[in-house]
Amino acid sequence: MYAFEYHRPSSIKEAASLARKLADAKLIAGGQSMVPALKLRLARPTAMIDLNDLPELRGISVVGTNVVIGALTRHAEVAASKDVLMTLPVLAKVAAGIGDHQVRNMGTLGGAIANNDPAADYPAALLGLGATVTTNKRDIPADKFFTGMYETALKPGEIIASVSFPMAKRAAYIKFRNPASRFALVGVFVSETAGNVRVAVTGAAPCVFRVKNMEKALASKFAPEAIARIRVPADNLNSDLHAGAEYRSHLITVLAQRAVEAALSGK
Amino acid sequence: MEMSGEQTILRPQAVTWSSITDPRVLKACIPGCESMDKVGDNEYELVMGAKVGPVSAKFKGKITLADVDAPHAYTLIFEGQGGVAGFAKGQANVRLLPDGETTRLQYTAKAMIGGKLAQVGSRLVDGVARKMAESFFSAFNEHVSGVKGEG
Repeated sequence: MYAFEYHRPSSIKEAASLARKLADAKLIAGGQSMVPALKLRLARPTAMIDLNDLPELRGISVVGTNVVIGALTRHAEVAASKDVLMTLPVLAKVAAGIGDHQVRNMGTLGGAIANNDPAADYPAALLGLGATVTTNKRDIPADKFFTGMYETALKPGEIIASVSFPMAKRAAYIKFRNPASRFALVGVFVSETAGNVRVAVTGAAPCVFRVKNMEKALASKFAPEAIARIRVPADNLNSDLHAGAEYRSHLITVLAQRAVEAALSGK
Repeated sequence: MEMSGEQTILRPQAVTWSSITDPRVLKACIPGCESMDKVGDNEYELVMGAKVGPVSAKFKGKITLADVDAPHAYTLIFEGQGGVAGFAKGQANVRLLPDGETTRLQYTAKAMIGGKLAQVGSRLVDGVARKMAESFFSAFNEHVSGVKGEG
């Protein structure tokens, strides 16, 4: 490791004011993306602000028809939560499928969505359920939160406090994962909430996105065959060493149908 | 992978050409560019910072304008060293097509990375290159046309 200032604030207010004051500082929660970047010297911030002493950012509660999860809640906690398993089991399944044991035991919901990796799972769940992100300043709907590759609507000094997920009538997340990294080559999240159908895709493009024409088809008939012929054009999809854009385009339609099937069977 | 794009510049071809070969304009439009100094004919040394997610790297490198065919086309070649992070190379073929009092700017671009950057970032390189190209050419359009670029 090389030298940097280490701050461990004990309130969100203090964390936010440090982040505003130290322009080059990085916030760290579970550190599952940040620490590898530090170790490889691919990031050399002059200061780190550790959020792990902020218990108010932690925890899971059911509020009306929403499940509210604190930003510092680990993936493993979400995966094992009785509240989540009872009210929104798809979210436990998403969390249980992220990375490996170490990532799930350390990685946090807030860290994952603030990083907004193009192949991360949580962004698909937020967008696929129409969740709301609450920061120390405001509420941001998922539709406005993920703005581009590794980019979010968060402003400097803004810290995620929690995410509120509406319960779904039915929902499922199916991902075609890279066997080594467990990142989604493509992941599709489908949900039906109070008469509203959403289809969100991760891993396929620089940023998570919704497939509106699939949503429309599913709204009139929630069945796999309703979307069997709908393709997302390959033009703006990712091509890399793992898969080409055409293949990813094909996977979206296949996985979306499987997700609808899984949502219908409740598995 | 090669990516392509087009911008409509609200200036005639000659004006567009003199701008896209002007190092001051290039410096203002290259994302993260900190300095750019002329070291030879159509050769510049530059320092630029790139930030992608948790990764940020500073590149010291060279920009060369090759296959210069005024006022129609050139190839912009970038080669940079990011210290321990690795290296990045890229090139953009730029064509200017006159269209009355405006110019159609067409480009194709590609990029390559090596070293530790490639170890963790090879799945991202095309996305980053596409974004940098789009951000450069739309900044250029805004700079020259005086309006927000499109495309």
